[in-house]
Amino acid sequence: MKRNELITPEGTRDLLFDECLAKREAEKRLARIFKSHGYSEVVTTGIEFYDVFSKGSRTVKQEALYKLTDSKGRLIVLRPDSTIPIARLVATRLKSASLPLRLYYNQPYFENNALLKGHSDEVTQAGVEFIGTKSRRADFEVLSLAVEALSSIDSNFRIEIGNVGLFKELVSNLDIDRDTAEQIRYYIVNKNYPALNDMLDTLGDSDVIRALKELPRLFGKKEVFKRASKYFVNEKIRDILKDLEYVYDSLSKLGIEENLSVDLGSVNKIDYYTGLTFKGYFEGIGEDVLAGGRYNHLISEFGYDQPATGFGINVNACAALLLKNGSAPKTKVSDVLVFSQMEYVMEAISYANSLSKKGLVVENSVFETLDETKEYALKKGIPKVVLVGERIENIDVKGGDVI
Amino acid sequence: MKPLRIALTKGRLEKDTVGLFEKIGFDCTSVRQKGRKLILPIDDGRIEVVLAKANDVITYVEHGVCDMGVVGKDTIMEMGGSFFELCDLGFGRCRFALATKKGSPFYGGYGVKTIATKYPNVSRSYFESKGMDIEAIKIEGSVELAPLLELSDGIVDIVETGTTLKENGLEVIEDIAPISARVIVNTVSMKLRQGEIEKLLNLMENNK
Repeated sequence: MKRNELITPEGTRDLLFDECLAKREAEKRLARIFKSHGYSEVVTTGIEFYDVFSKGSRTVKQEALYKLTDSKGRLIVLRPDSTIPIARLVATRLKSASLPLRLYYNQPYFENNALLKGHSDEVTQAGVEFIGTKSRRADFEVLSLAVEALSSIDSNFRIEIGNVGLFKELVSNLDIDRDTAEQIRYYIVNKNYPALNDMLDTLGDSDVIRALKELPRLFGKKEVFKRASKYFVNEKIRDILKDLEYVYDSLSKLGIEENLSVDLGSVNKIDYYTGLTFKGYFEGIGEDVLAGGRYNHLISEFGYDQPATGFGINVNACAALLLKNGSAPKTKVSDVLVFSQMEYVMEAISYANSLSKKGLVVENSVFETLDETKEYALKKGIPKVVLVGERIENIDVKGGDVI
Repeated sequence: MKPLRIALTKGRLEKDTVGLFEKIGFDCTSVRQKGRKLILPIDDGRIEVVLAKANDVITYVEHGVCDMGVVGKDTIMEMGGSFFELCDLGFGRCRFALATKKGSPFYGGYGVKTIATKYPNVSRSYFESKGMDIEAIKIEGSVELAPLLELSDGIVDIVETGTTLKENGLEVIEDIAPISARVIVNTVSMKLRQGEIEKLLNLMENNK
């Protein structure tokens, strides 16, 4: 017989003790940064109507959604992303709020992944959304927050900028259908040089084709902009490139030249990005931990035309890294164990309460005898036992006559 | 400096890749005389070769425990996953093909066709692109048996010379996709170790 009641679904895990502490520590560090820059927390619903994620630039692959139905038979999904629900929230309940809006979140999203590949189906993500301004200042603020967020977890990080406008502009110059454009995007994102070249060869030869072929190779440090300038002749694209270089140079003023790079072929799968995008990486984590960028049309899909920018960071990955680096707090052994005979049990509990108010971690002994209590303290490593009776007496555990 | 870890698909691709490495000038004695070891340092420990089954090469690279991998396009097409597919090594060449019993028409009629294959995803997406419903049945051993036993109308399999097909009275009626060995790279490693990886890729590309 299958005992599903004893296990958790594929892609999920229970967190215990140190794992919890590491996760809370990561959340605490990130929330502190967001709050200290004037961002206010929002929590969106865990379940949403399927319709929120099924149209326009906010389409989430159907097979990646966890689906259920409500009492009226309408299709409901577990939240697969936080930015789209926040866009919905802004376009409805925050329509009359004064702009710009600075929001942050810390909540899980759910993704129905292929089985047995070791991917997580439930991932806690924290992030910010800066809504209601197209200003370059907003981009810089959010990028600098991303840098702060990454460096609060581990100094060994990388932040990489890009711009989806490059790809969108190049493709708009070709006479191709949506599917072909998507195929080209897919090959560029996967840096599949052979397949990309084969595909583009069938479309003839022009400076746009040559630029598309080169796009996935254009990543690295500042020299990328120099290499790229050879390939882009179109005025509009040169402007995007120039702007990206300006962002690159500005960011290096934060003293993070070492951690900074650019990838012109970073054309995110997420459709709602409209311009500047960025990603964050940590050494030792095999996938990007932070992703963000500008999305100027997403909120208008909900009927409120507002530009925005933001990012999300994978809290689980941050926690795993804190745990690995030993920089997360450890589960604390109790400071004091309080014991009493049964007739003094309420006095003992009051005394324990008074110690906990002073900031000590204190446990009540549930044993009937002092010897058992001392034995337990030794086993758990609790340094001090207090006997509450007529008077309050400190018992030395190690020097005692137990064992 | 941490060594660059590259996973090779055990068997022929491993031999061909080791051949390529030796052509580049890496001393691969450790791989040639590996015994039962599965992680083998070459190039004075700058590179670590990991030997794994094809599907596992993709898994290790996807998770970033190996920076790079050499794996057949067949496995990539069947498994998918997110990684960079940077270079066609040119060896391990063969193709995916649709084969049926000699002389039996595959297309035509209204019935849904049954395909026996080790590659159900490749089969499904191929016929999906033709707008055709098929029933894919996964077979683990010799796929050629299925049409002979009349379990299926055809097979989708890797074909190199076609000799096995011919000997069993089957024939290729369509090529689906060419296959060869590919170099795949973890998306984060590519960014964090760009210099080392590009250097190795160039050496491999220029010596293949």
